[in-house]
Parts: sequence; C-alpha cells; structure tokens
Amino acid sequence: MSSSTTQVTDSSELSGQSTSRLVLQMARRDIATLFRTPWIIISRSLAFIIQLFVFAYLISGLVVKFPGFFPYYAVGSVVSVVASISFIIGYDIFEEAEEGLLDYLLTLPIPRREFIIGRALGGAIRAMIYTIPMFAIVAVLENFSNPLSLLAAVLDLFLLAFGVTGLSITVAVSVRSANRFDVVLALLELAVSRASTALYPLAFMPSYVAALAPFSPVTFAADSTRAALSGSSLDILGLAGLLAFVAIFLGLGATFYFRRLEGGVYA
Amino acid sequence: MIGFDKAGKRFGTLDAVKEFSMTIHDKEILGLLGPNGAGKTTLMLMMGTVYRPTSGKISVNGLDVVHHPNDVRKMIGIAFQDPRVDGILGAFDVLNWHLKMTTNLDKVEREDRVEKVLRAVDLWDARNKRTWLMSGGMRKKVEDCKVLAQRPKIAVFDEPTAFLDVPSRLLMWKMIRELRDEGSTVIVATNMMDEAERLSDRVAIVNLGKLVAIDTPEQLKGKTKGGEVLELTVGNGQEFPRECLTQFSEVQDVNQENNKVTVYLSGGRLLLPKIVETLTNRGVKIDSVHLKEVTLEDVFLNYTGHRLE
Repeated sequence: MSSSTTQVTDSSELSGQSTSRLVLQMARRDIATLFRTPWIIISRSLAFIIQLFVFAYLISGLVVKFPGFFPYYAVGSVVSVVASISFIIGYDIFEEAEEGLLDYLLTLPIPRREFIIGRALGGAIRAMIYTIPMFAIVAVLENFSNPLSLLAAVLDLFLLAFGVTGLSITVAVSVRSANRFDVVLALLELAVSRASTALYPLAFMPSYVAALAPFSPVTFAADSTRAALSGSSLDILGLAGLLAFVAIFLGLGATFYFRRLEGGVYA
Repeated sequence: MIGFDKAGKRFGTLDAVKEFSMTIHDKEILGLLGPNGAGKTTLMLMMGTVYRPTSGKISVNGLDVVHHPNDVRKMIGIAFQDPRVDGILGAFDVLNWHLKMTTNLDKVEREDRVEKVLRAVDLWDARNKRTWLMSGGMRKKVEDCKVLAQRPKIAVFDEPTAFLDVPSRLLMWKMIRELRDEGSTVIVATNMMDEAERLSDRVAIVNLGKLVAIDTPEQLKGKTKGGEVLELTVGNGQEFPRECLTQFSEVQDVNQENNKVTVYLSGGRLLLPKIVETLTNRGVKIDSVHLKEVTLEDVFLNYTGHRLE
C-alpha cells in the first residue's frame, strides 16, 4: 500500500453512493450468512419433510371432522416456518449488540432508517430462501401450478417475513437482558404462530385462542396464502392486515433503534 | 479539522466524557493516550456518530455530528479495539463488504485494494479462513485493514497494535503513517507509551473523561518540571519524608505511589548523592535508584498522579 497506488476516500466521492444500493448491501450481508451455513437449510428441510410425511399424514388420517386437513396443514406449515425463521434476525441483532459488532455497523455511511429496512429486508429474503424448497415440495404435492396463484402466495409469505423481522428487531432493541430477550421472543413466536390459523382452523380452536387468532399476522398470511393457492378471489383483508403489520413494526423497530442504541444503551 | 467543544457523554450516572474541548488538525496523527476507561473509545464513537453527545458540540470538517451524522459517517473509518468482524466470513469477504459499504470503488478496484492490503499484512494466504478461527493478532490485523483499505479522510484506530507481535506493530505504524502522508487525518487511541510517542504528531492525554494535556511528545516532555526524573524504590510500608526532598531548590515535584517515588528535578547528577544521604539519614531504606531523562510515561504520571498500567 503506497501513496502511488491508493487515494484517500473523499466524502464527495461517496455522495454518489445511492442509499438503495447500501440497503441492498445490508440485506446481502444477512443473506450471505445463510449461505455460509447450508447444512442448516438442509437439516431443517429434512425436518420439515419428516414433519409433513409422518406427523401431518398421521394426523390427517385421525381428523375425521375436517376432510382435507393434510393440504391445510401443509400450507400452514410453510407459513409457520417463514414466521419462525424471520424471528432469527432479532437474535442476530441482539448478539451483534452484545458483541459490539453493531457499533461497527453503526459507523457505516448508511442512514439509520435505511439500515433498519436493509436488516429487515435481509432477514425476510433469508427466510424466503430458506422456505422456498419447502414451499416447492408442498406445491408439487398439492399440484399448485397456476403461476399467478404461486406468485400471490409468495407475496403473502414475503410480507409476513418482512413484518416479523420488523417485530423481531423491535424486541431485540427494546429488551436489554439476554435471558429476558430469549423468553420474550420465544413467547411472542409461540403466540403469533400457535394462536393463528396456520396449523388448525379457527372453528376447532379453544375459545380463548380463537379470540386472539384472527389478529395474528400469521393468520393473515395463512388465510391469504390458502386463498391465493386455491385460486379463489384475492384475500384483501389478509393482505391489508399484512401490510399494516409490516408498516407498524418496521416503524417501531426504527424508532426504538434510534432511541435505545444511539443513546449508548449497550455501551 | 475536528473540534470537540465542551463535549460530554453520560451513561446513566456515569460521566464517561466531561467538558472535553480539543481541536484535531488536518493530516496529523493525534495520539489519544489514557488508561482503560479514560473515555477514549467513547470520544471516538461520539465523533463517529455511534453515540450522541449528551452535552457540548462535536464537529467534523465543519459538520455537526448530531445534525449531519450521515455526512460525517462518509468521512470516517473506525478500527475498533476488539475486532468487530463477522466471524463466519473470511478476511477477504469482511474487507470487500466493508469497501462496498464505504467506497464507490468498482469490483476490480475494490478487490485489488483488498488484495494489496491483505498481502501487505501477510494475510493473503489466509484470506478465506473464517475470522473466528483466526488468532487474536490475525483478527486485529483484519480490523485495522478495514480502515487501511478504506483510506477515509478521517481514520480512527483504537489500540491498533494490541495483540500484534513486534514486526507487525512496526509494519502497522508504517502503514498508518503512510495513510497520514496520503492526506488522512489519523486518530490513534492507545495506552502504550511508545506507540503514542513514536507514532503521533501530537499526543492528547486523557484521564477520567477529561483532556489533561495536548501537545507534541517533545513539547510535553519539555514542559515537564525539571527535565529529569529520579525514580526511587523505597522499603515497603515506610512513610516517605517528602519535605526532605522539596527543600532542594532543584527538586520541582515529588510523587509517591506505594513504594515507588518519582522526583522531578534538574541537575540530577550533582544532587543525587545529597538526596541519597539525606534520605538515609532520615532512616529511609532505598532499594533502587534510577536517574533518567523525562519520558512520556513521566509526563503522564506528572499530569494524572498515577502510572499508565
């Protein structure tokens, strides 16, 4: 490295650096970590296949009141997996804050709001990449072949992933104790996934769960995805619910982020 | 130019930095010298817009860090004391991603710059080794390389040679000096005296979140009382008769820490026998005597009242 071969980076040189490019770079960083650990995708996909072909097959034979439970459960499982994987970004951010890596990321020339969007986007795309093989298995199994239906279903899944990453980031920057964070996120994950129509229909739920389930973002996504795949009309309510969920939690995540991290909470 | 104007940072009830005022000139290497917990890292993170100052003002090239954080961040690169690198990535990917975020270089230029800096610090062969599998020294080099490859207008290094062996330390100093020569303003936080003295154009002594003194190493040493230092080790548990020494007009100051006594004086060679005789007559057991020129360590002791361990 000598003066003849390098130049000091001038701020004016960077002004051309588009924010959208930086957002994508932030997202790519989170996606890259997934591809560094491909065995996780493989093992989780195998677990999903076993869950589908052993548990779901068995249960669908036992459920007599609800014919067609297997396809219902298969689609719902994919939705549940998307939600579950999307929560991981919160763990990543919490760990980064504890290890100090977040301090480094905060020194990078990307505006804070775009930073949050980049992280949420990365987490959401990562969850989608992770889930696509499972979605493909279900699509082949259930013969979902209409491209528009498949596209609409993917959109539903992506919106769910985007919103859940926002929610997860909000929790990660709001809770300071590691133990409390683990408990809060696990309970939240349990609540949004289990108190939803992802794995069982509303009519069969206990009343206390049925009262909550219609408001879960996983319910919006599960109902909307099933509607899209069955070729029936677009589930406007589900889509609107998902969009509201995304907007609320991305906004909250960014707001908490500003207040907590820049105040030096993790110092 | 970077200006700290009565800047302060409070974490809960702790004042990490208090009423800190200092100016850093363009294209200089400023050494921030202070013990762990002195507030050096907080100062740098406030300047780098990671923490907001709770009082006062910090400006970087005329831009207030609170009101123009994005513009300030475009000018700064920080290498942290503890390496902040994605453990799952190799050195090449860490640096390549860092340059993607901080520069507008195209792929070829970027990869060329990464290769040059990794070759320079002898990490090219280990470029794909995951950083969490690297030794502390290798990880530290990767951290420093982020800023060396970025070549920002303002380069900040926090303990840049911690964990490095002697040849690597010398190489790192050389590369930091080159960065300054190419036009960067460089800030080096350190608690190593020789690093501050040999690398810095000016040294700022920081203690308990406050600026204690700032000047060139030579000026700081020159300003220190007397110009010579007599170090005495006396018997454990003995009360030291300070007034015995301050009676001599050549003695400027006396500082005691446990059984170590530091005497700032002039004309030490002539005075030494008298001092030893006086102390012996007062029953002080002297274990060792060492007369020397003032070092930066003595300057630090003189200003803060304690040694930099």
